Amino acid sequence: MSLRVAARFAARELRGGLKGFRVFLGCVILGVAAIAAVGTVRESISEGLSQEGARLLGGDAEIELTYRFATDEERAWIDNAAVESSEIVDFRSMATALDEAGEEVRGLTQVKSVDGAYPLVGEVELDPQMPLDAALSGADGLPGAVVHPLLLNRLELDVGDIMRLGTQDFVVMAALQSEPDNVTAGFALGPRTIVATDALANSGLLAPGTLFTTRYRLDLPTGTDLAATQAEAQAALEDSGLRWSDARNGAPGAAEFVDRLGAFLVLVGLSGLAVGGVGISAALRGYLAGKTEVIATLRTLGASQRVIFMTYFLQVGALAVLGILLGLLLGVGLPIALAPVIEARLPVPAVFSAYPRPMAEAALYSVLTVLIFTLWPLARARDVRAAALYRDALNQARAIPAPIFLVWTVVLLLALILAATFFSGTLWLTLWTAGGILGALFMLTLAAFAIRALSAFLRPRMRGRPALGWALAAIGGPGSTAAPVVLSLGLGLSVLAAVGQIDQNLRGAIERDLPDQAPSFFFVDIQKDQMHGFLARMEGDEGVTRIDQAPMLRGIITRINGEPAVDVAGNHWVLEGDRGVTYAAGQPDRETLTEGDWWSEDYTGEPLVSFSAEEGEEMGLKLGDQLTVNILGRDVTARVSSFRAVDFSTAGMGFILVMNEAALAGAPHTFLATVYSDQEAEAAIFNDVTKAYPNVTAVRVRDAIEQFSGLLAGLASATAWGAAITLLTGFLVLIGAAAADQRSRSYEAAILKTLGATRARILAGLTLRAGLLGAAAGSVALAAGVSGAWAVSRFIMETSFEVAWGPAIGVVFGGALISLLAGLGFALGPMSAKPARVLRSAD
Amino acid sequence: MSNPVLSLQAASLSLDGNAGPVSILDAISLDVHGQETVGLVGPSGSGKSSLLMLMGGLEQATSGKVMALGHDLTTMSEDALARLRRDHFGVVFQSFHLIPTMTAIENVAAPLELAGVADAYDRAEAELRAVGLSERVDHYPSQMSGGEQQRVALARAAAPRPDILLADEPTGNLDSVNGAAIIDLLFGLRERHSATLVMVTHAPDLAARCDRVITLTDGRIATTEAAA
Repeated sequence: MSLRVAARFAARELRGGLKGFRVFLGCVILGVAAIAAVGTVRESISEGLSQEGARLLGGDAEIELTYRFATDEERAWIDNAAVESSEIVDFRSMATALDEAGEEVRGLTQVKSVDGAYPLVGEVELDPQMPLDAALSGADGLPGAVVHPLLLNRLELDVGDIMRLGTQDFVVMAALQSEPDNVTAGFALGPRTIVATDALANSGLLAPGTLFTTRYRLDLPTGTDLAATQAEAQAALEDSGLRWSDARNGAPGAAEFVDRLGAFLVLVGLSGLAVGGVGISAALRGYLAGKTEVIATLRTLGASQRVIFMTYFLQVGALAVLGILLGLLLGVGLPIALAPVIEARLPVPAVFSAYPRPMAEAALYSVLTVLIFTLWPLARARDVRAAALYRDALNQARAIPAPIFLVWTVVLLLALILAATFFSGTLWLTLWTAGGILGALFMLTLAAFAIRALSAFLRPRMRGRPALGWALAAIGGPGSTAAPVVLSLGLGLSVLAAVGQIDQNLRGAIERDLPDQAPSFFFVDIQKDQMHGFLARMEGDEGVTRIDQAPMLRGIITRINGEPAVDVAGNHWVLEGDRGVTYAAGQPDRETLTEGDWWSEDYTGEPLVSFSAEEGEEMGLKLGDQLTVNILGRDVTARVSSFRAVDFSTAGMGFILVMNEAALAGAPHTFLATVYSDQEAEAAIFNDVTKAYPNVTAVRVRDAIEQFSGLLAGLASATAWGAAITLLTGFLVLIGAAAADQRSRSYEAAILKTLGATRARILAGLTLRAGLLGAAAGSVALAAGVSGAWAVSRFIMETSFEVAWGPAIGVVFGGALISLLAGLGFALGPMSAKPARVLRSAD
Repeated sequence: MSNPVLSLQAASLSLDGNAGPVSILDAISLDVHGQETVGLVGPSGSGKSSLLMLMGGLEQATSGKVMALGHDLTTMSEDALARLRRDHFGVVFQSFHLIPTMTAIENVAAPLELAGVADAYDRAEAELRAVGLSERVDHYPSQMSGGEQQRVALARAAAPRPDILLADEPTGNLDSVNGAAIIDLLFGLRERHSATLVMVTHAPDLAARCDRVITLTDGRIATTEAAA
């Protein structure tokens, strides 16, 4: 009965239109749209990756081997299982060409050498257009190469020119426009070159012990059960160190990255929803304050508290549903409408459509947020008594609502966190985000109180400065809008400040600090007989300050104490792929043992391994454990005899696994060297080494750092966009607060005009008020952002932290500016109104 | 007789209504002399408050001339009018119109601060003492009764030692006891500052305390009577 009455009352009140609810609606729409948009893009990419799995992988399934080709037994299994198969070799090398002056120029390239069957799925696009086979067969007696335009440009090469890989010349037949299976290639330091594997026979690049990866792509019979085939492969080729991927998840790295980034951005989006919640709450409070008389009249006429609560709850519900629908329309419609633009910028395929999951996710978050932020104002309205007709009772209602509403608030908050955990799939990230948002809201609320108290304290001390005095009175006095302004602006700015500080610190750590400690070059694949000459060149160079060198092999840890490694140590990153392995007779100079003893220099007993202490502890290893490492297809089982403190932060040489010399010396291998030199000496070292040893790959650390910084910049800008939406919502809330406050400002301005204030003085007061509030919100946001960034840098990134003052000052000024824009936009009305009319309408 | 401090010559005021312009005041001509007290009476909607607003430059005449202390208010800018009010006028309203974000003393000091008076707060405190509110200086308007708020408004109007006091139904929102006290204070302040007083009122006994009573009907001056 009461519900029906409440519904009738609610419908009658909504007849008046949406006036007073525009900010409410705007906040819901923006919050929903942001989350739905991120979710839709994420889902579209996932769908694209899933639909195009086989193309991205380059076949139905792939077997990857490190550092070696498949054995005859392995080839036999592949040929038996697949209708057709293809072998691809992937490695880094130096490409050499002659420039116009006849001087040699060199550049790092990621070489993919292929057989005649490549690609099993999709097409390689070349410019000029031609079949890949024709391009790779070359011309004028030389094999052909197709080269990424970046490398062509770097080496000043044109189609028809000659380039060299190792000791083999190739004719550049075409520019490589796109390769179907590029997404799986991962983080590449050099642009791509594709050649035929046969053509590398005399290049000296695939000698035993050099670093390369082979991938065997399998075209399986239609209807093959991929999971069963995977199990079969792993059983048949047990302990071969193979890694299996298949079309069920064609680009696992990319899919995981998109999922993680998407989840993270949705969590950033939740901070936008929280800001929206502040606006929703403020808008509802303002609306209900204007309804006090109506509520009191209804109470006089006999309406129960339940009827009052339901009347306004139903209105809020109807508007929230409208806002959510419009938000979904915007959040899903926009990515679909912009699909061609987004697709052009994405390195992965995407299928844009309206997906139910992100819509449900956005709607659920919004419903919970709206409920959390409207419950208290509704509870206050429910408490209005008939006596309110005679005095301002809404403002006298208790600040904390009845216990049942507190319980509901906690329940709804827990539901929101649970939902976010379910959708993002990461409990800790969700809890950290929730903690961050709640912490920031708490800090900002405290700050708003502090700002009000400080303004009230300073006001009497600013006598003789009327404009500043009025501004402080407006901030510190009754009816102050300090709380919603500081909360809405502050939360958006906090996220932005934190992102800015983390980005600057991380980039600073990489770009500024790392080059001071990092080597200038990594030289990879130096053959044993080249080491003497190589070291002689370095030692004779005054610009070289340090050379580190070690035998270099790669291996995969397959078993720990006879058990599959993943069963013992879970998904630790050390187990995710192959790791560098070296051997040494004596203990490395710069590393100290944390546990156990080093073997004697002439030790020849059972294989022993010294393991990195930090990673060993994370994996639960202890002295005496038996590690089985697959190296070149052979298992080497070694006993852990010591743990070492290894510092990976300086980008120098550091091995997780060091074995005794006798355990590995017989295996074919090359050497890795790091060279520390003055910047002036770098060019000569690069030229001399790559010229004298064409098989050796030189990786300039500065280039790698630049590339990694670019990747970081992309991540930071994606996050900054998320934060910008939060800020936009904050701006909307500010506009709402300014609009709600316009009547009192006009009134105040009219009185001041009556007392003799000029428009300039009134404007100065309004400007100071908005600027002070904005700057205060910015400063608090900065404190919150810097604390958050410090915590992330210190505990997650494990880098040093210092405040980046440029972005920091930008945040404070940005806050003041945004607040000014919102405030002054609404100051023009009060400025121009005739005082008599404003005062009369207030009577 | 001295020059009038306020002089209206065929001053009219019309406002835009839904059905076209509505005439509020129609060709009012009137002189008010220094230290004179004038009561404006008449039925609701007769234009009393609007006439008072024209005199204070708070409303702009549609036609005619409004002179105050030798200044033509109809040709002055909004800011010039504000400065004139700051230096020479005190205005009291029926609804008090105190700034809600300011305490009593801050409200009273506001016009003095605008004029750059060095001891603005000492003078404001003295004015509050004069209206019997020395215990309420740091209270906000919302913490005071209607009578107290109107006393603050009186103190604020008197603080700049104005030449002209304009009062728009100053007792309209008060009970008779408070109303009588306010009127006593108002006339006392006028006396103290030797100011000219123009007061809109519905109460014939209040009007009778003025030197002259002007009755308005439908935006025109119906009668002008000197006090008995």
